Amino acid sequence: MPKSIQIAADALRSPLSHLRPAAVRGDTGLRAAELPNLGYIVLRGRQDDGVFLDAVAAVLGAPLPRKPRSTVRCAAGVVLWQSPDEWWLLCARADRDALVQALEQALQGCFAQVADNSGGFTSLRLQGAAHQRLLNHLSPYDFDQLGVGQCVSTVLSKATFTVLRTDEQGVTLVFRRSFAGYIWQLIERTAVPYGLQLTDAKSCSDAWLAPLLADGKKATRVQPSFA
Amino acid sequence: MTAQRVDVAGARIDTRKKIAFTFDGKACTGYAGDTLASALLANGYLRLARSFKYGRPRGLIGAGAEEPNALVQLEEGAYTVPNIKATQAELYDGLRASSTSGWPSLDFDLKAVLGQASRFMPAGFYSKTFKWPRSFWPAYETVIRKFAGFGSAPTEADPERYDHLHHHVDVLVIGGGAAGLSAALIAGKAGLKTLLIDEQSEFGGWLLSDPKLPVGGAGADAFVRNTLAALDKLPHVTRLARTTAFGLYQDNLVLAVELLQDHLPLGQRNAQQPRQRQHKIRAHQVVLATGAIERPLVFGNNDLPGVMTVSAGHTFLNRYGVRVGQDIVLTGTSDVIYDAANALAAAGAKVSVADPREKAIARRLEPNVTVYQGYAVGEALGRQQVRAARLVKLHPTRDEVVGKGPTLRCDALLSSGGLSPTVHLFCHDGSRPIWNDDVAAFVVPKSGRAGIACAGSVTGAFSLQEALAQTAEAMRKVLETLGVQGEVVVPRSNVPAPQAPRHLFRVPDGKPEGVGSKAFVDYQNDVTAADIELSIRENWQHIEHVKRFTALGFGTDQGKLSNVNGFVITARTLKRPVGEVSTTTYRPAYTPVSLGALAGTMEGATFDPVRTTAIHASHTARNAALEPVGQWMRPWYFPKGNEDLHAAVKRECLAARTGVAVMDASTLGKIQIDGPDAREFLNRVYSNAWSQLAPGKCRYGLMLDENGMVTDDGVTACISDTRFYMTTTTGGAAKVLNWLERWHQTEWPELKVWMTSVTDHWSTVALVGPKSRQVLARLCQDIDLSPEAFKFMDWREGTVAGLRCRVFRISFSGEISYELNVESGYGQALWEAVMAAGADFDITPYGTESMHVLRAEKGFIIVGQDTDGSMTPVDLQMSWALSMKKSFSFLGKRSLSRSDTARSDRKQLVGLLTDDPAHVLVEGAQVIEGADISKVPMPMLGHVTSSYHSPELGRSIAMAVVRGGAKREGERLFVMAGGKVTPVKVSSTVFIDPKGERQNA
Repeated sequence: MPKSIQIAADALRSPLSHLRPAAVRGDTGLRAAELPNLGYIVLRGRQDDGVFLDAVAAVLGAPLPRKPRSTVRCAAGVVLWQSPDEWWLLCARADRDALVQALEQALQGCFAQVADNSGGFTSLRLQGAAHQRLLNHLSPYDFDQLGVGQCVSTVLSKATFTVLRTDEQGVTLVFRRSFAGYIWQLIERTAVPYGLQLTDAKSCSDAWLAPLLADGKKATRVQPSFA
Repeated sequence: MTAQRVDVAGARIDTRKKIAFTFDGKACTGYAGDTLASALLANGYLRLARSFKYGRPRGLIGAGAEEPNALVQLEEGAYTVPNIKATQAELYDGLRASSTSGWPSLDFDLKAVLGQASRFMPAGFYSKTFKWPRSFWPAYETVIRKFAGFGSAPTEADPERYDHLHHHVDVLVIGGGAAGLSAALIAGKAGLKTLLIDEQSEFGGWLLSDPKLPVGGAGADAFVRNTLAALDKLPHVTRLARTTAFGLYQDNLVLAVELLQDHLPLGQRNAQQPRQRQHKIRAHQVVLATGAIERPLVFGNNDLPGVMTVSAGHTFLNRYGVRVGQDIVLTGTSDVIYDAANALAAAGAKVSVADPREKAIARRLEPNVTVYQGYAVGEALGRQQVRAARLVKLHPTRDEVVGKGPTLRCDALLSSGGLSPTVHLFCHDGSRPIWNDDVAAFVVPKSGRAGIACAGSVTGAFSLQEALAQTAEAMRKVLETLGVQGEVVVPRSNVPAPQAPRHLFRVPDGKPEGVGSKAFVDYQNDVTAADIELSIRENWQHIEHVKRFTALGFGTDQGKLSNVNGFVITARTLKRPVGEVSTTTYRPAYTPVSLGALAGTMEGATFDPVRTTAIHASHTARNAALEPVGQWMRPWYFPKGNEDLHAAVKRECLAARTGVAVMDASTLGKIQIDGPDAREFLNRVYSNAWSQLAPGKCRYGLMLDENGMVTDDGVTACISDTRFYMTTTTGGAAKVLNWLERWHQTEWPELKVWMTSVTDHWSTVALVGPKSRQVLARLCQDIDLSPEAFKFMDWREGTVAGLRCRVFRISFSGEISYELNVESGYGQALWEAVMAAGADFDITPYGTESMHVLRAEKGFIIVGQDTDGSMTPVDLQMSWALSMKKSFSFLGKRSLSRSDTARSDRKQLVGLLTDDPAHVLVEGAQVIEGADISKVPMPMLGHVTSSYHSPELGRSIAMAVVRGGAKREGERLFVMAGGKVTPVKVSSTVFIDPKGERQNA
């Protein structure tokens, strides 16, 4: 029997993997880096459903954030509030399978949905003195109102994105794979007056998401609550 | 030379910096700080244009945005810009400008010869002439356009960039004159986030034209300097010059354009910066401090070069150091004529003032100023430029001539009819300004409206003292509305009270209207006072009709000098109050905006999102030609060597039908549906039945709108009793998700179901053909691929190429086919693994063109191509997809029984086979009963929806919708396109393997 054909061990490709990041030169007002190959799990459930909330909290080790634009850091990663019935969990890819399984088991019999969307998103960190102004070029949202620990989903030109602020130096943009090429081109051309440098995640780091990257900390071991 | 450069203290030009520029090819010089207009005047140019209709010589009238005549073409080639007002073009080194009217030249204009027959060319003459013979109209149009003048659009791509910037502020102050500066300072000191914008290169507004006006104990120039310095100390206050607010929209959205680099020499512009920027500003409170524009008086020959507004003469002198004449006549309705008279006389001119008021002014006048009290200018005299002014004696209160006056020689004639507040932004919501009889102006309310404060002369507070006091009142309210405390202080301006003005618009000349020399109201469109009266005589009496009949206010100046005069003359002719006649509609943009600024980054490569799948790099590496499908770029065909489309499609289709082929189907919409009511929800949104679909099975579904028309289709798989995986068409994905959400949220919120898009998460590789199973076997060891175990329309989970994969045995080609779904991070790796596994079988990648042919050979519809929103499943011969026994019903079901929807002679989907097998019908071609097309109109039976050459059959095939088509199989019909008629026979839509044996194998 012919040997089964297999893909290479490093075959995983993030949406912006075709770009060529470089080492940062000089003191730049603006730098960007893809935070590649995270896990993205979409969680649907009603915010007023106590059974749902408890089940999820047991798996994640923290309660879901319930205020608009709020986020939560937990052992599994970072949870972004999207709506009264939708959250996005950003996790280490290595934890993704266990988390999906744990959540689905915990939510059996509950009116909820766990949808793995890890192939569908990527994250781009933007940092530097000019990052806020760049956001004001790209999008009509009042980003002055976005504090540390908050996220918002809004429009930029003819696409949508989610903006997460975990520190004062920059933001992380989360957007869909099929729009990634267009969004990067928008950012690149809009940033021309500010001297944007594309670099790697180590030189342009989001403190909350860095541990979730493949070459960050070892993946956390997620204990499903229902064996 | 009439105009002359003079030394004026406080002028805004820098005489140490000489600037060289050209106009109509001739070398000229000016100074830094000049506009093109002031420099042209100083270089002796008086005649700058030829009028639109009559070809009359024209020159500058105003000094700003209100200028109607001096339109120039700036620069050449890729940098050229048409119809810039010379008064708004900042002079820079090497600037090249040319006039935009006058043919063959400004000096000798052919149209002016025709203009002698102006008696036969009043307003409205276009709609009564140039109509016959009809075939001549294109020729007339070419000639008229050439004569009309105005500049040329660029023919080369714009090399400069533009961008947008969004702002969110507490207070936006529009206008940086006395009122605006004061308002911004009050807001800034109160701690409010404030943005101040002004269209000019410098802040100060009218104060720049009258720097010695007393303000706050010093001169206006000191006031401006100190206020700007104070504003710059406040960190949350930003000010932008060269920034024109052009539109005020709902919820206090203001759009403005900033000219970042238009004032720089071409060689000095920074390519890394935008040339112009559109600011999109949301403000809690907008403060309109937009000031007022002076209108001229209307009198005979008031369009001669050298006839200007008083404020223009005053501005050219004080701001640019250009005295517009040596012998100047001034006339007007208020004391402004004396402000200007004194200034011009002090600069060395001989000045005559025709003051139509009865009472003499009690003010010290310069020597060289002579006053003719009780007189107005009845007519300007001259041919190529003004040479004299004929005065008339007016009745003290009525607009009547009671006596002759002297004819005064002059080389400049300045008139002031009063101020017209710049109300436009306030009225962009469709409202009208209010006529105020006391100040003879259309004004905005002093109290503004919710969210909008009005400050200064725009409210009719025309004296500086009044304007500042009113600003304070307005800002007090602004602070109160925003709930902040702050000091509301404005400077005082102690100017002696002016004499009462005399309201005057059309100066009588002792003759009936239309008998004397032409008295122009609108310069850009050659509209005279007589034209307005003509419009009313012809019964075009509503002000909007007067505008359309005469073209009043149509031009690029948008009636800034002309509209109010036109409205008043209309009212007087109708003998109705001005406030009742009112104004025409104010619409954005306040001044012309370049398309580049509107587009920003929405052009070129980023005009629209270009979406690609995770596998895309593999396609471009294999030389795929691409085609747009919605926002996606998909492989269209994969040419080998120098194959054309047809050769590639032939090879790809044959591979799919006889060997193995592979296609990237990742663009289809994919929705994960979860919940105990998932089945019921599917039953309601699809026309067919879902209750019995078992886990591991797939079904093709049709979605109908409420009218029973097909709007989308796709295969949906049952993952578990409470989880379904729905696919949609590529172009319909977002629309379908919205549709599902809409029905769930508004009509069936009790259904427990979730729907989430996973379109980008999954990549789909379709492995197609009789040999596809063998190829899959090389990649997948843990699924039983035997046809008994894995039937058509089953799906299985397994490992393919080492990846966790969902395999769907569904087919859009009619061959054995497996669609492999993996998460997109591995999409490209899977594709390459499939190509490697199929190498021995000569596996052939194919694109959308072959996909279309393959499905058409099987009679499978494509929603949006074979359907157009007006086809039911019955029309499509797909009644099998209707499950009429579902307990709740489904969307569109009831409409299927509507009398028109249930007609048996509706357009129905059929196949068409041409008599000539080599002839491929044109998609969209009309289907008709007979071959004779000489008698039109004739009934159209339908049209061709899909048409291809079939490689397997070696002949053309087509699908069409034809009236009563279901009963016409075998009939002879005809197809017409491009004047040619092709005979066809109606056939089944299934051209290959009618029993479907291949896909089930």
